[in-house]
Amino acid sequence: MTAYTKNDVLLQAKDISLYYDDKCILRNIDFTVRDIVRPGLQQGQVVSLIGRSGIGKTQLFRVLSGLQKPSGGTITVRERKPVESGNGSIEVWRERPVRAGDMGVIFQNYYQFGWRTVRQSLLLAARKNPALAGKEEDAIREYAGRFDITDVLQRYPAQLSGGQQQRVSIIQQLLKGSNFLLLDEPFSGLDICVLDKVTELLLQVSLSDELKTLIIVSHDIATTVEISDTVFILGKESGKEGSTIIREIDLIERGLAWRHDLRQDKVFVDTLAEIKGCL
Amino acid sequence: MGGLAAPHFKSSNMFKPFETISRSSLLIMVALQVLFFLVLWQLSPGGLIPGPIQILDGLGQLLATRLLFDNLLASLVLTLKALVYSIVLTLLFSYLSVLPFFQPMAQFLVKCRYLTLTGLIFIFTLLTKDGGALKLSLLVFGIVPFFMTSFLSVIVRTPAQEFELCQTLGYSRWQTLYEVIIVGKADQVFEIVRQNFAIAWMMITMVEGLNMSEGGIGTLLIKYNKYNDLPHVLALQGVVFGLGLCFDYLLGLLRHWLFSYTNL
Repeated sequence: MTAYTKNDVLLQAKDISLYYDDKCILRNIDFTVRDIVRPGLQQGQVVSLIGRSGIGKTQLFRVLSGLQKPSGGTITVRERKPVESGNGSIEVWRERPVRAGDMGVIFQNYYQFGWRTVRQSLLLAARKNPALAGKEEDAIREYAGRFDITDVLQRYPAQLSGGQQQRVSIIQQLLKGSNFLLLDEPFSGLDICVLDKVTELLLQVSLSDELKTLIIVSHDIATTVEISDTVFILGKESGKEGSTIIREIDLIERGLAWRHDLRQDKVFVDTLAEIKGCL
Repeated sequence: MGGLAAPHFKSSNMFKPFETISRSSLLIMVALQVLFFLVLWQLSPGGLIPGPIQILDGLGQLLATRLLFDNLLASLVLTLKALVYSIVLTLLFSYLSVLPFFQPMAQFLVKCRYLTLTGLIFIFTLLTKDGGALKLSLLVFGIVPFFMTSFLSVIVRTPAQEFELCQTLGYSRWQTLYEVIIVGKADQVFEIVRQNFAIAWMMITMVEGLNMSEGGIGTLLIKYNKYNDLPHVLALQGVVFGLGLCFDYLLGLLRHWLFSYTNL
């Protein structure tokens, strides 16, 4: 098995609940995402939240992104904070509640401002990243080349294909510089060729930084499991209202993480059956 | 729909529900219908109502002097001035309406479209220094509520995703206001101006009737109407109508030129 350790907590959801009027949508959501360290690699994290349609995945997605306040509980993220000390400014780690803007969010329909060209949209995001100050255009060119969208930089969103829109959304959030990337149903509606490219692209993103953490909300079990290191299953418990995390599966322990050609692997097939059985 | 391929003028297509016809077919159809209507009008016994030839004759007389040009220019200048003031006021109050403090003011201005100008003219006369300012203020007062009604509905209908994208990009509320409302809705401001230009153009003849010292197409209309000179009245109506259509077309062109993404 590949050597790895799970170190600091990067994100923690603690006792999250969500009610609309008196209807319970989510309850007692508890999970933790830890920094996975692999010697000699910049290994990010790929976590999946799997559940049936209508189970509350999108609501949980909105809560995680900070776009919606939960009715109860907290989501905390770990961040570097500069602190003045006797020897000048040093960076310390601290945990704080998630805010809108902390996470890069890629919506299901890859929404972009219709009045901005791709380049303008990317520039708006790059300008929010202090690490890119003065180098925004270079960063856009680099990402555009890597993600094969150089030809469409001057186009408007309405002129892009679904795959191009998705790549633009991902680059936009990467340029913003957030360590967390939340993706809502990134595999829905993609044909098989594009699907392979997207999974490859997400893996590429997860390897771009040690702290890069992808949280994928999806009901496409096979594709999601294929690229994840941890799966959380969102479901309902009998006799209880609202959805909660009913199972956590550590794919690293099962030898299913960071591998290609998993589809024929018996453990992979069994894991899919196990997940389906939970839904 | 079956109208995708309609390169030729086929009369049978004109009576199919949801049929799309080509631009050239549409132009031929419009020309034929207008011609048919004009011939019918000319041939029908109209009594006091002049026929198209009499109206054309009246238009010719108006064009032969500088009377029409000078008055039209006065009206156009006044209308454009009123439009500029109205747009500035509309944008100012509409943008401010996203701040709770200014919402009552914005809502009051929207409701002002139910007020009639007739009873307020004297108050406006007291508040303004001359006839020009009176006409301008009446026009602005008449236009702004309609502009604001349209623009506020555009703001209210802003998809939540536009705000959410700003939030995920870490925008402050002021940056969101700038990106989503000011920049993002600029093309729709143009569309509102285009749609509501008709109100300004329609009101101009009314307010010019209140103060005739500076002339204007409204003054001309009232003058000819007073003597029941219907050929000239209808010729002027035709000019007002034609110019309105021209402005509508030009504003549409300008919008597509300035905001090319609206063509996509």
